Amino acid sequence: MRLYNRYVLTVAIFLLLTTVILIATGQNSLDIYFTVYVIEALVITELYIYINKKARRGLAFVSSILFGGFTIALCLQIVRILT
Amino acid sequence: MINKNPYTWAGLGLLIAGVIVSLPAYFLFHMIWLTALGICMLILSFILIALGKAIPKLSPEVCSLLLETGIDNIATLIEELGIKTKAIYLPSSLASKYPKAFIPLHSNGSRPEITKALPQRLIARYGSSPEDIGLLISTIGSAAAGMLESKPGATPDELESALTSLLTGMLGVADGTRVICYNNHIRVEIHKPRLENGASWSHQCLGGPLATVVASVAAEAWDKPMTISHEEQVNGKYCVELEVGR
Repeated sequence: MRLYNRYVLTVAIFLLLTTVILIATGQNSLDIYFTVYVIEALVITELYIYINKKARRGLAFVSSILFGGFTIALCLQIVRILT
Repeated sequence: MINKNPYTWAGLGLLIAGVIVSLPAYFLFHMIWLTALGICMLILSFILIALGKAIPKLSPEVCSLLLETGIDNIATLIEELGIKTKAIYLPSSLASKYPKAFIPLHSNGSRPEITKALPQRLIARYGSSPEDIGLLISTIGSAAAGMLESKPGATPDELESALTSLLTGMLGVADGTRVICYNNHIRVEIHKPRLENGASWSHQCLGGPLATVVASVAAEAWDKPMTISHEEQVNGKYCVELEVGR
């Protein structure tokens, strides 16, 4: 349970810090916010390799949803550039 | 099905809050930073719901009750028989499906050599002499070793990885482990342990709960019998020393 708490806290702190930094730098594109969030969440999840098998399966599902969202954002950006 | 635990409730709360914040922020107020904050909440909510599904349905109180009852029964049995010899932790190849602890009923000072698989009985015979009998019992370590996804390899690094995965990731009773091997001894350091040791008779014979886990996993990794030769708590570390049998 302590490992879960530490993992959730790490993700929460990183996401909030990122939001503050991006707001401070005047970032106004939602795609950039989302891309950075997804990359951070995926990296932190990979770093917590000792999380148990069942939780890892659930987190893999969440990661695939986030990666799907990232792919959609990327595709929309490519379409916008091409047209 | 959704388990009702604090992680799930926190996840559902953040999911609702995330939707309430992000949708109006994007479509009504056109505030990107507020929408991003809503997305943060949604990501965290997905993570919390996923973790909530992995939490066991049994409460820690019930688990503790079951554990104490099991330990108490074994302690009573050992105490009643007046056994003072140290337990030998056997790998699954010499015990049964899981690694088990074998306590010889008679001892002449030397450790008995167990070379073939023992029968799956409480009182098991390991030699031809009438005195070559002992108790073959399951310990916390037996069940814990069975939780590992695969059998760990017989190197210090692989044992360390298996113990950290078990004690930190699955059981959440320590912050990490370190394994040092020398001659026929294995020294395991458990950082910040959160499981207390008793000082009962059975503890002298079987070792503390963490030591039993370490001995069982090491026996399985090396595929050799192990004995807990020493265990101590120093500066927030719990050190277990194992002697590898032949």
